[in-house]
Amino acid sequence: MTSLAEILQRSVRLAPMFAIAGIALMIPGCTKSIPSSEQLSPLTPASTDANAGTWKMIVLSGPTQIAVAAPAPATDPGYQTELTSIVNEQAHLNDSERSAITYWSASGVLRWNELLREMVAANDLPPEPLPNGTYPSPDPNNPFDMPTYPFSNPPYAVRAYSYVSVAQYEALKAAWYYKFLYNRQQPYENNSKIQLLMPATGLPSYPSEDAVEAGVNSTLLAKLFPTGIDQITNEANQQQEALLLSGKASASDWTAGFALGQAVANVFLARANSDGMKAAGGNAAEWAQLAQNAIAQGQIPWISQETPLRPPMLPLFGQVETWILPQADVAVVRPGPPPSTTSTQMQQELATVKSAVENITRDQLATVYKWNDGANSVTPPGHWNAIAVPYISQAQFSEVRAARTLALLNMALHDSGVTCWDTKYAYFNPRPSQLDPSIKVLIPLPNFPSYISGHSDFSAAASDVLDYIFPTGASYFDAQAKEAAMSRLYGGIHYPSDIKYGLIQGKQVGDFTVTFAESDGAN
Amino acid sequence: MPNGSPRMRQPARSAQGNRLAGFAANVLRPATMWRLARILILAAMLPCLRAQTIEDGIMLHKNEICSGTLYTHDAWDHYWEGTTNRTNGNLGTVTTQTMDFTANYGVFSRLDVIGTVPYVWTQASQGVLHGQEGFQDLTLAVKYEMIRWRFKEFGTVRFFPVVSGSIPMGNYDPDFQPMSIGLHSKTIAPRATLNFQGLGGVYVNGSAAYVFRGNVTLDRNYYYTDGQIYLSNQVAMPNQFEYVVSAGYRAHGVMVVGNYEEQQTRGGGDIRPQDQPFVSNRMNFSKAGASAVVPVPLPWVHGLQYWFTYSNTFDGRNVGQSTTFTSGLMYQFLFHRRSAQ
Repeated sequence: MTSLAEILQRSVRLAPMFAIAGIALMIPGCTKSIPSSEQLSPLTPASTDANAGTWKMIVLSGPTQIAVAAPAPATDPGYQTELTSIVNEQAHLNDSERSAITYWSASGVLRWNELLREMVAANDLPPEPLPNGTYPSPDPNNPFDMPTYPFSNPPYAVRAYSYVSVAQYEALKAAWYYKFLYNRQQPYENNSKIQLLMPATGLPSYPSEDAVEAGVNSTLLAKLFPTGIDQITNEANQQQEALLLSGKASASDWTAGFALGQAVANVFLARANSDGMKAAGGNAAEWAQLAQNAIAQGQIPWISQETPLRPPMLPLFGQVETWILPQADVAVVRPGPPPSTTSTQMQQELATVKSAVENITRDQLATVYKWNDGANSVTPPGHWNAIAVPYISQAQFSEVRAARTLALLNMALHDSGVTCWDTKYAYFNPRPSQLDPSIKVLIPLPNFPSYISGHSDFSAAASDVLDYIFPTGASYFDAQAKEAAMSRLYGGIHYPSDIKYGLIQGKQVGDFTVTFAESDGAN
Repeated sequence: MPNGSPRMRQPARSAQGNRLAGFAANVLRPATMWRLARILILAAMLPCLRAQTIEDGIMLHKNEICSGTLYTHDAWDHYWEGTTNRTNGNLGTVTTQTMDFTANYGVFSRLDVIGTVPYVWTQASQGVLHGQEGFQDLTLAVKYEMIRWRFKEFGTVRFFPVVSGSIPMGNYDPDFQPMSIGLHSKTIAPRATLNFQGLGGVYVNGSAAYVFRGNVTLDRNYYYTDGQIYLSNQVAMPNQFEYVVSAGYRAHGVMVVGNYEEQQTRGGGDIRPQDQPFVSNRMNFSKAGASAVVPVPLPWVHGLQYWFTYSNTFDGRNVGQSTTFTSGLMYQFLFHRRSAQ
């Protein structure tokens, strides 16, 4: 038997091996911190945008549609008590309060956009089939029951992004109007014992722009993504705490801003209630009619490639209310029909798709997954929000201008989503893998007709708007749009025609928003 | 939908047959360069030619080399979505086939290095998802026979510290689960193995490892998993604990053992309802099975063995409910009796 001494001796000889292994073990361990929020620098607005109260409204009749009462004067004892409380609170800040202040100093508009994208991803899962082969519908009245409400697919998501962005923009324009109407100074300017713990904005503090953001976002998100209520409430509370400690806003600044935000959100919820979304899912008779329409045109109709067969995604979303594009123009920007399902051109396009999949390069595959944005994702509209964020942050836009950028972007995205869905269901064109079952795909196949490509449509509209706002980024945005569009061909889920006409329509729709932006008073 | 292969092609180890491979302790006499070349050529040509494994307690002699190939077939139609067992009409049966190319080398009589290169194919019997194929992760291991206790009346007990690591060989994409051929994570795993070879043929082997896994880089710069969004292309991979126990009979070139194996992932999110699997999911499994090795008597080749192993995943989380078999011929040059004592 081996003696203990021998064992020890051998262990010592092996020490270098274990030392090397030990060092190697630490390597993966060191790299495990992954950011879950954007690394944004604190916002020092390049301009106060003092005239934003006069910028063109989109849904509200004007900045005074929601009344905001005049604040108490600086000498008011109640206000003085608010200021004293800030002094007291600032005297003993803890680390978590300091980091919250840093977090919210970046831009409430961008922080809430981050949460919105997270809500979309959290809810972007299709219902599971029941044992009897049918699919239950998410129920807004019982959002926590399976399947949870909503299924935040691209049409649902793009509408949500647009509602939140536009409502926030309208509410901030109203806030700017009242800020410069009442001209109340920020707490740190009214009391020299108060430190300013966020960058100076040069803005009057009443009503608080951060409170407006919290009011709009928390109200709308709670309706759009009800299962996220805890996170949404927590986010609003955090922003409030950070702002009331920052020296930028007092309790009455916050209360007035939050109420304004909520009131504007309610205007938008009323619009959402009757914008056509409730009927967008259609019913079995309408689904069958779509197939009949295609057959009547001599075409092979689209059919779900899922097992069990899943009803088409929101076939009547093409009738949902638009923002900037006139409703009557939805049909105007609809392209002509795709190549006939029995045509030679369709055979050629099928061959192109098959060849793209079978001969894909690693770089092309990377774009397929970069732009997948399928289930469990922020969706393509969210992807374009994420592309815009660093540009907004770097430009150091004021909060109202940041909100304008996201509103313009998401209105164009929503309108292109409506026109894209209109086109998809007007033609009910089969996916490549339906017409040629030998075509296999590299990403899960979206459960709706092929013509035209949603990625192409969304991306052309988004890059069109971003080109206008950030001309120096134009070549980048255009390249991203083209890449997003082509990724769908590489992945085997779209024909070249889908991509070509998707890009054309997206640009057409985006141009309406750009034209609006050129004369909205913000230039 | 389910994850890649039943066990997501757990990279730190080659296919399920590993623990079997070395039962015969194939040994080659110190070879000339010509002999070495001939062995390598044979290794490439023969379907199976393997020596000992990362997990068992069997060693080569100094300067002995042994290599071979191995085929594994793994299939499932049920899988665990989180903890819920289900089927998926968009996948049908997912089949993963693996061809392992393995080489073992005795650096010293008590120190072996082992390398394995797997080539993997995936396919789904239903739905439209495209199968994937390619070289997966190279595994390298260093195994040291630190302790050997001989008990005259019973047999021999050995203890082995082992370190293994794996590294993706190619640029395959791990973001297409369950069709992706692997997870594309670098790993390093310290392991301890205790082995008993009884004089009457009783064989017991136990091996446990803790697998440290490096970040995975995706081709996208955000993802949602485990209840939150991450704004990065980097995915932190939870580490894993695993162990395997084998017991049975081994003597005179014949071996019959039962195997039990578990993997526990120390974190990670569940696959949500109707979601795709994700690289960092909490993938756990329990498998049971059996292995057999028998000599193939051929007049012109000495030391050829047929072996077969079967395993069934009977419990799991975020993995397929796999039925797996590995089959092949093992070829041994110059049978060495030491390890079969």
